[in-house]
Amino acid sequence: MAGGLPSALRRLYLSIYNWTVFFGWLQVLVLAVKTLHESGHEHVYSAVERPLQLAQTAAILETQKHIMVSSLVISWSITEIIRYSFFGMKETLGFTPSWLLWLRYSTFLLLYPTGIASEVGLIYIALPYIKRSEKYCVRMPNKWNYSFDYFYAAILALGIYVPGGPHMYSYMLGQRKKALAKSKRE
Amino acid sequence: MKVSVVSRSGRELIKGGLELSDSATVADLQEEIHRRTKKFHPSRQRLTLPLQPGSKEKPIILNYKKSLKDYTEGNTSNFTVVFKDLGTQVSYRTLFFWEYLGPLILYPIFYFFPVYRYFGYQGERIIHPVQTYALYYWCFHYFKRIMETFFVHRFSHATSPLSNVFRNCAYYWSFGSYIAYYVNHPLYTPPVSDLQMKIGFAFGLLCQVANFYCHILLRNLRSPAGNGGYQIPRGFLFNIVTCANYTTEIYQWLGFNIATQTVAGYVFLVVATFIMTNWALAKHRRLKKLFDGKEGRPRYPRRWVILPPFL
Repeated sequence: MAGGLPSALRRLYLSIYNWTVFFGWLQVLVLAVKTLHESGHEHVYSAVERPLQLAQTAAILETQKHIMVSSLVISWSITEIIRYSFFGMKETLGFTPSWLLWLRYSTFLLLYPTGIASEVGLIYIALPYIKRSEKYCVRMPNKWNYSFDYFYAAILALGIYVPGGPHMYSYMLGQRKKALAKSKRE
Repeated sequence: MKVSVVSRSGRELIKGGLELSDSATVADLQEEIHRRTKKFHPSRQRLTLPLQPGSKEKPIILNYKKSLKDYTEGNTSNFTVVFKDLGTQVSYRTLFFWEYLGPLILYPIFYFFPVYRYFGYQGERIIHPVQTYALYYWCFHYFKRIMETFFVHRFSHATSPLSNVFRNCAYYWSFGSYIAYYVNHPLYTPPVSDLQMKIGFAFGLLCQVANFYCHILLRNLRSPAGNGGYQIPRGFLFNIVTCANYTTEIYQWLGFNIATQTVAGYVFLVVATFIMTNWALAKHRRLKKLFDGKEGRPRYPRRWVILPPFL
């Protein structure tokens, strides 16, 4: 094998890593859909909380019972399942099947808007709670002359979505064009 | 000679090309392009020699001072240049002036005016000596930078894209306000010992003086006729470190932060160090590449890049 032992170890590590995260998100998706179907959207968060924390940090607030938690989790997990299996295939097999490439560069067309809308929506409805609870806030005076206000940070985050969302979406559109054109030529 | 001007996609920019004298310079060509297109001021024109399609090499940029003859390789009948529009340009002096003016004006606003009332802090504000010295130190720093912009620096390029004005001003003005907010805060806590403050400011000032001297040395590497160019820097700290000017600038901010002790100040220090390190690596590589010791050129000596003993 070209590159010898270090490169083989790297490939092994990346394979294991990507497939592990893939299974983490698969678990989240299965659990989310199952709970949604059996118990309703109010229960989705508590069902996926553990595996979700493993795969991603999530804001744990009163928003837990909201339907947007389901849309968020499902959007994220489908996207990540496709993404990590894409990388996993690359590392393990050396190539990715064309249908997976297509999925990776097409599902975002729907899932970015649904995911972003869910993120923005949840932050927005959480705002009153964030302000009341003072969670994660650091106040002056202190030795290092620092402060953090979670409420204003959340508002700043919402602001960033305004240029950030369209920018990410159009970037993916460009990537899609390049990736699918490339695979067509091959 | 006839000069064809094409865009990077191959489209002819000026129908029928241009007619220039055989002894014309690149600057003459740029003037002529500007005359014909009206829109493209010479500073927005990037003219390069055509590359073979699929070539991975970097295109050769025409130097405005050189004669066209230097690039035609003897072929004076038809010469093709590839044109790229660099967008609206501003002079480096303009760019630097506006980005430094922000911190110079905004910081004192937090010190002198009852700004914190609007953040919900009512009542009297006790100003600690360190906050006053910090004001002097900060304003001196940015005043120095503006003076150097107009009287010391000799720039490698005359202009920079207009978009950099917004980007750079956002960076300096935001960080300036961010730091000013915390240092001048009514609930600001000075460092425990007076000595810490004194050491911080003294060290910082020393580094600012050293930084100024570095700038003078760099200036003297370039001629006043000024079209940039690169020389091996020598003397003072440059004998040990390629980008001693960045080194002294980083340490100067460290001095400020030791004296004022805010997370905001340290965050700025880290980000600024990151940015300057990237610049320093590029400069170091460029100098090593330029001064390779071949064909009579001196060889670039072994030196630290920016922060001994780390890099």
